[in-house]
Amino acid sequence: MKKVIYIFNDGEIKRKDNTIFFETDDKKSYIPIEDVSDFFIFGEVTLNKRFLSYISQKEITIHFFNYYGYYMGSYYPREHLNSGYMILKQSEYYLNEDKRLNIAMEFVNGSYKNMLSVLKYYINRGKDISDIDESIKNLSREIPKCFTTNQLMGIEGNIRDIYYKSFDRIINNKDFVFEKRSRRPPENYLNSMISFGNSLMYVMVLSEIYKTHLDPRIGYLHSTNFRRFTLNLDVSEIFKPIIVDRLIFSLLGRKMITKEDFEEDMEGIILKDRARKLFVQEFDNRMRATIKHRQLGRNVSYRRLIRLELYKIEKHLMGEKPYSAFVSRW
Amino acid sequence: MEDIKINGTLVWYYYICKREVWLMSRKIVADQDNKFMDIGRFIHENSYGREKKEISIGNIKVDVLKRHKGNVLVGEVKKSSKFQESAKMQLAYYLYKLKEYGIDGEGILMFPKERKRIEIKLNDKIIADIKDMEKKILNIIYKDIPQEPKKIKYCKNCAYSEFCWS
Repeated sequence: MKKVIYIFNDGEIKRKDNTIFFETDDKKSYIPIEDVSDFFIFGEVTLNKRFLSYISQKEITIHFFNYYGYYMGSYYPREHLNSGYMILKQSEYYLNEDKRLNIAMEFVNGSYKNMLSVLKYYINRGKDISDIDESIKNLSREIPKCFTTNQLMGIEGNIRDIYYKSFDRIINNKDFVFEKRSRRPPENYLNSMISFGNSLMYVMVLSEIYKTHLDPRIGYLHSTNFRRFTLNLDVSEIFKPIIVDRLIFSLLGRKMITKEDFEEDMEGIILKDRARKLFVQEFDNRMRATIKHRQLGRNVSYRRLIRLELYKIEKHLMGEKPYSAFVSRW
Repeated sequence: MEDIKINGTLVWYYYICKREVWLMSRKIVADQDNKFMDIGRFIHENSYGREKKEISIGNIKVDVLKRHKGNVLVGEVKKSSKFQESAKMQLAYYLYKLKEYGIDGEGILMFPKERKRIEIKLNDKIIADIKDMEKKILNIIYKDIPQEPKKIKYCKNCAYSEFCWS
């Protein structure tokens, strides 16, 4: 199984002897290229065109994060899976307002249902959040009544606001209060973790989109602006609650990350190196964790589950099978 | 859907899975991470290096093409002889297409892993079968949606299986 290679150290990465070679001040190592699915680069890494051309040939994506851990951008090699048919279908479903709304709705459905399954877990563990569960269920009744994607985005935002109210009661730690959702810059520890986790999720989905026939620039819920990636934001909505939020609860619950792991900077509240590595490592563990898939009748990793989700979208666009978002059962 | 043409790959899949024919015709290729895809690629890249490879003639692409005792010999390389019928028809289709261009050739199926070769020649019966098959393949391709997935024994190792069953 191919792996995501996370690079935190500073150094030079290059092609050498038909594979990848990474050199830092005190260490040299080979990274067998056939084992790499993509790179997440956090350190100050030097690379050249020869490396990029090798990476493109091997169809590997590279995601760059800046000094503060914020997502900078991706090296998304030229599309290798080209299906004019699929691009036309993807556009057709974007341009037709009803068809677009229909898919966007399913992203919101998947998103809120997965929020509910996170809440359900904590309700069963005695957390007093039933009122939030109830409010989300009430609001979800508005979803089918939307007739534009903007309205849908509005409902989605309202649901998310209510959902975040549960965080303080679940985490129950005065160092990690939610206050309000703040990004660019995140104004407190918890928001900083949410932003970091979400950006990992976005790029992971982007990497999976690269391995399908879908174009990441054509999303349905988030407005396409034709240059930026948006389909990955759409699909991430489904997985954020069950991957990112659960990860944050577990890191805080087990006291693996505390307030000492943050520093304030011009760019807001950011995770220090040690915590960032730990966060990424735990994220990777989660992506590799497997669950039993009912239709396939075998275990699949969460990472694979993202791919399956994209396949379902492709089949929807083909007119073969209506898309129904993944909903976690626990 | 104007420029869909039958090619050797579609013939090959026709005898294995009709749904796959439709998907292939739309360039919806299978999961490239599948380990069997890797094995296939490896065999393709590393076998018969001394002979001419991958020759395109019209919309067909043959693995190996050479002269042999004054005849044109077309070779098709396969991982195993498990899908022999499929491979035979694919190669016969190439010979049939060459014949249209006025070239009479002979075919040879090659299974490097099994060190096995099978000779193929066109005859009236095979030509009739090919004509019939062409019609049936076009019939599949011109449909708006693919045939529903059906669980068959090939699904087990198929690189499309996650696509079909997700």
